[in-house]
Amino acid sequence: MDPALAADARRERRFFLSLSLPALVIVGSAAILPILWIVRQSFLTTAGEYSVGNYEKVLSSGLTWSALLTTLELSIGTLAVCMLLGLPLALALASARPRVANLLMAFIMLPLWTSILVRTYGWLVLLRRDGLVNAVLTGSGLTTEPLPLVYNFTGTLIGMVHYMLPLFVLPVYAAMRDIDPNLTRAAASMGAGLGLAIRTVILPLSAGGIVSGSMIVFIYTLGFFITPAVLGGGKVNPISIRIERTLSTFQDWGAASVLGLLLLVLLALVGVTFWAARLLLTQNKLGVAHA
Amino acid sequence: MSFKLRISVAVIAVSAALPVYAQSVTITTAGGDYGKAMQEAMWAPAAKELGYDVREETQSDGFAALKMQVTSGAVTTDIIHLGSPEGAQAAAQSLLEPLDGNIIDLNAVPAGARSDYCYPFDSYGTVMSWNTKTYGTNPPKTWAEFWDVGKFPGRRALRSNAQDLIEIALLSDGVAPADVYSVLSTPEGLQRAIKRLEAIKPSVAVWWTSGAQSAQLLKDAEADLVVTWNGRAQTVKADGGMVDYSFKGSVIGTDCLAVPKGAPNKEAAMKLIAAMTQPARVAKLTDFIAYGPVNPAAYKAGLIPDERLKTLATAPENAGTSVFSNPDWWLKNGEAAQKAFDEMMSR
Repeated sequence: MDPALAADARRERRFFLSLSLPALVIVGSAAILPILWIVRQSFLTTAGEYSVGNYEKVLSSGLTWSALLTTLELSIGTLAVCMLLGLPLALALASARPRVANLLMAFIMLPLWTSILVRTYGWLVLLRRDGLVNAVLTGSGLTTEPLPLVYNFTGTLIGMVHYMLPLFVLPVYAAMRDIDPNLTRAAASMGAGLGLAIRTVILPLSAGGIVSGSMIVFIYTLGFFITPAVLGGGKVNPISIRIERTLSTFQDWGAASVLGLLLLVLLALVGVTFWAARLLLTQNKLGVAHA
Repeated sequence: MSFKLRISVAVIAVSAALPVYAQSVTITTAGGDYGKAMQEAMWAPAAKELGYDVREETQSDGFAALKMQVTSGAVTTDIIHLGSPEGAQAAAQSLLEPLDGNIIDLNAVPAGARSDYCYPFDSYGTVMSWNTKTYGTNPPKTWAEFWDVGKFPGRRALRSNAQDLIEIALLSDGVAPADVYSVLSTPEGLQRAIKRLEAIKPSVAVWWTSGAQSAQLLKDAEADLVVTWNGRAQTVKADGGMVDYSFKGSVIGTDCLAVPKGAPNKEAAMKLIAAMTQPARVAKLTDFIAYGPVNPAAYKAGLIPDERLKTLATAPENAGTSVFSNPDWWLKNGEAAQKAFDEMMSR
């Protein structure tokens, strides 16, 4: 390349890099520095000395592992229900006429714009022992006793699914909408029923969106605090609640920092897993398209 | 505008921004009805008397806020409101200034409640409360009956914290109020209490985390039997809820006022604590919330109407079967107790 042109290109690259500088400064000071501070804190004992004592204490405690297990149960449970409800919903949206689809979309987005606190307490009113849902169930004779719908795992899961469903549906809907309708028509013309067409055409082609949606659900739900705190009735204690308790009941910042880092590692692991899944899928999808 | 005029405008602006000098003091309370009660009855009149300019901050978790301010070296509050066990813990972690005995009469409170760091001013009972629709006139009368789910079926709600609960668990197991801490101080004592809690766990519908939540559970009849603080139960009852409660076997705790280490207005803070805890003012607090004075002088001279004495945990007729929460025990064993409690919860 002409040296003058090359210098030009270099200048341009530098200019574009400099444009991202403000963002880098914000991310650096608002995200990375506090994390570094937490890392330092995790090695500090209450006496102010550096040691790995906090790690030993946290990692050898059964409470940590039961909190991790609860966290994973909640994330996996939320994802499973989101898939069960969200995939048909996205499919319906993608195949609806644009006007109907827009209207449905508005209904899906509405909860997303409501404060999580309002929604969580709303569920409390609906699901409690003499709440609306139980009043209808017992009033109509469907059940004789009010069902335990809240202050337990079920209630927490309901609240979490309600929060996550729109965030799951959006990328899945985007992927399904982009599928050329001719492909499903072609499948039908070759004798594929609806089920077969969904399984062999729609789901594989929207797999990227499904993986993205799943990743969003999983990563968000790993850190959920308000929903289990309000709807779990003290019986559903994921790692976020363990962190809060370590701070407020035990005033142990070192151990809380270790728990925070543990959550961060978990997030990174989940992120990498989904990223790898997406990568594998894209390669596979290209192969399918060329076949 | 001429130069002179500009200067005089600036001078006027500056002098308007600076009020006449007044000693300012910042107090951190728990806020809500309780914080408001303390303002009306205690610190606002005391501040007026001393000519102080008092600012209020509210924190639901006073200890965490205190620790954050002191360890980060940015202390903004001069007075902090804590539970006495937290007060003892904060003193042990050198987060508090020693109280000045020349300003505050530390010996005005009973010997068992005395502290050199956190001045106890009011008391509350952790009590049994119940839904009167469920139990009518025949509610459980002792903690042993509270544990008896065969005779008294119903959903229980307990606080998700070992504090007061392990004392209550031992009372339910037949330990006499006077022996609770000596039993808890034996190696098997704590395990005995935890085992007892584990026995009732299947009947606990909610483990609550805030006083307001426990009041809501009572009010909504979400739970039939709730262990809560007397002030909360009394408020629900007074609001017309189908609720009653009893001081029998209650665990009495005290709240206290302290000065954080490195507080900007130390001496003024001590003076304000002394003034706001005068017997007449802590007696007046009961006009707003059912938390009785610790200072015996406040019960004398008819400062509190007889009718109201029935609603106070420390009133002579209520304190007979109670256990006084022991801050020293909690200071030494609190972490082990909370850990054992959390492990029981996760089983």
